[in-house]
Amino acid sequence: MPPLPAKLAIVGGGPSAFYVASRLLSLVPHANPSLRVHLFDSLWAPHGLVRYGVAPDHPEVKNCTSKFDQAAADPRFRFFGNVHVGSASPTSISHAHPLPLSSLLQNYTHVLFANGCTLPILHPAIPPSPRCIPALSLVHWYTRHPSNPPPPALDKITHLTLIGNGNVSLDVARMLLTPPSALKKYDVPEHVLDVLSRSALQHVSIIGRRGPLEAAFANKELREMMHLPDASMLPLDSPLLTFPEGTTLSRQQRRTMELLHKGSQSRFGTTQKTWSLDFYRMPTALTPCPPSAETTKLTLAHTVLDPSTGRAILTDQTSTLSTSLVVTSLGFHVDPTTVFFDPSSGHLRARGGRILSESGIPLKNMYASGWTANGAKGVLATTMMDAYAVADTILSDIVSHGAANAETTPGGEYGSEAVPDTLIPNLAPHPEDPPEEIQQGIMDGLVTQYHDWNLVDSEEVRRGALLGKERERMCWEDARNFLSLSRHHGR
Amino acid sequence: MRLVVRTCLLLSRPPPDHPTLAPRHGNITRPTPGTGITLHFKDHKGNLIKTIKANEGDDILSLAHEWDIDLEGACDGSIACSTCHIILPPEHYDQLPEPSDDENDMLDLAFGLTDTSRLGCQVHVTKDMDGTEIRLPSATRNMFVDGKKPTHH
Repeated sequence: MPPLPAKLAIVGGGPSAFYVASRLLSLVPHANPSLRVHLFDSLWAPHGLVRYGVAPDHPEVKNCTSKFDQAAADPRFRFFGNVHVGSASPTSISHAHPLPLSSLLQNYTHVLFANGCTLPILHPAIPPSPRCIPALSLVHWYTRHPSNPPPPALDKITHLTLIGNGNVSLDVARMLLTPPSALKKYDVPEHVLDVLSRSALQHVSIIGRRGPLEAAFANKELREMMHLPDASMLPLDSPLLTFPEGTTLSRQQRRTMELLHKGSQSRFGTTQKTWSLDFYRMPTALTPCPPSAETTKLTLAHTVLDPSTGRAILTDQTSTLSTSLVVTSLGFHVDPTTVFFDPSSGHLRARGGRILSESGIPLKNMYASGWTANGAKGVLATTMMDAYAVADTILSDIVSHGAANAETTPGGEYGSEAVPDTLIPNLAPHPEDPPEEIQQGIMDGLVTQYHDWNLVDSEEVRRGALLGKERERMCWEDARNFLSLSRHHGR
Repeated sequence: MRLVVRTCLLLSRPPPDHPTLAPRHGNITRPTPGTGITLHFKDHKGNLIKTIKANEGDDILSLAHEWDIDLEGACDGSIACSTCHIILPPEHYDQLPEPSDDENDMLDLAFGLTDTSRLGCQVHVTKDMDGTEIRLPSATRNMFVDGKKPTHH
């Protein structure tokens, strides 16, 4: 007996979602078993962090979208943007069209969560305030993310402190220290270039609670900092560059140390802007100050590395730093309102690509991939390999069990535990159609599809070309108006 | 149609009858049958994926695409990702020009890095490479549903 049709809903529209979709569509022939893959993205534009995370001066990283476009051209694939899946949970995107999880489960045989880690990890000692913002706000600002954060007051900021030294931190530092004239050919929105051109920034401090060997940045991003045309690095004190005899460095650490030894291409003091890597420091307090004050005081505890645990431990020494703005860049976690969220890990309860019940039993036909399953770590290649493995898991379920088997084993075959009916996908939904809410959203012009994105994509590139740049991004209002006009003109 | 599941190491299509009819990816032209430099692609366990023929100067990523070997090039060969990570035998690794800083920066992040790892997009075939084994650390066993040729994505 041939398996019943498989109709997969993927929550999320970033690289993990697209790599899973692409893999499945390429491995399953068109005729049998019948396969449908529908993506639901909370943002109106697809590609997740490739569009709204990758730094504008890294355009090559975005080349992966050509593969996503190919997957989207498959007639079995559909994309629904600006759709928030879940109960009436809070979302930073006020215009997102709601779709209850129950509706998704009624309309699909298989459900994959690939919706990433969307919220920044905050620092317990320095909560968000007008003087302390997450790096994600700046990334969302320069990528014109639909959450639409306010621009930083760069005309008043002379000293900026980044807490955390991963690649997001270095991306932000590089964007703020690169001359706007060097950025304008890239995919940087005009209003961002305007703010950058009025920048009064003189110094960026990048704080790490441990030492150079534990730094989270990659060598590519460190090398780019060293090569900034108009910014130089404060040389590191030599004790930071020496290690006890017998320390063995990995290849990556050895290359990092070479870069740190050499220092920046421009000698410190010969440039208008400067930056520093401040190791073994941990913020403990940010002194409140009136909005008119140019700077405020950030208290930093000095740390040492505990050789047995590899963790930073506090010493009794502290120092203070006068800074205009503190930007925390400490990683990301899954939105805790997401179903299956595991507070202990900060991501979903999942193992081997399968969603787990609270007692750790894999749920039938429910999957998770990418950052939402594994936490916010790894490069694109990591996400791709994980996605391919999860796609293989889904495919093995589709072909070996078939949806038909499930009818005889209510609650799943993985254990005797009763799984609530509300968490089991439908075995025989409508073979083609998305949920009714989505069909209505499309009619109302609130839900975008991939052909809408293709139109916006070309138009953004066209508008960019007029300005001599890679593209000029639209916000949701622009896109909505543009798409409505396009439909009107029958384009 | 009866559904058959086959586990298979490669997604192959028959070679073209004549080299001039060969589809082109990344400016690769297949050598005339009986000529060319022989390369053996293997998975991370050393299982043979496919033996192919290359021309001098071809890069490994483009060759993999031309011969339908599962090697990804997410950044299209612009040294901005590590998806085309390959592992060479030491004797062939040593014959190649040193990797650039940019390539080494990406290799730092590659899965299963070895002392003889390179990015496939940066390795160009030389005559000395005849008979070389190229390992793909990211290659997985592809299961697909039999009966139809898989499509390309």
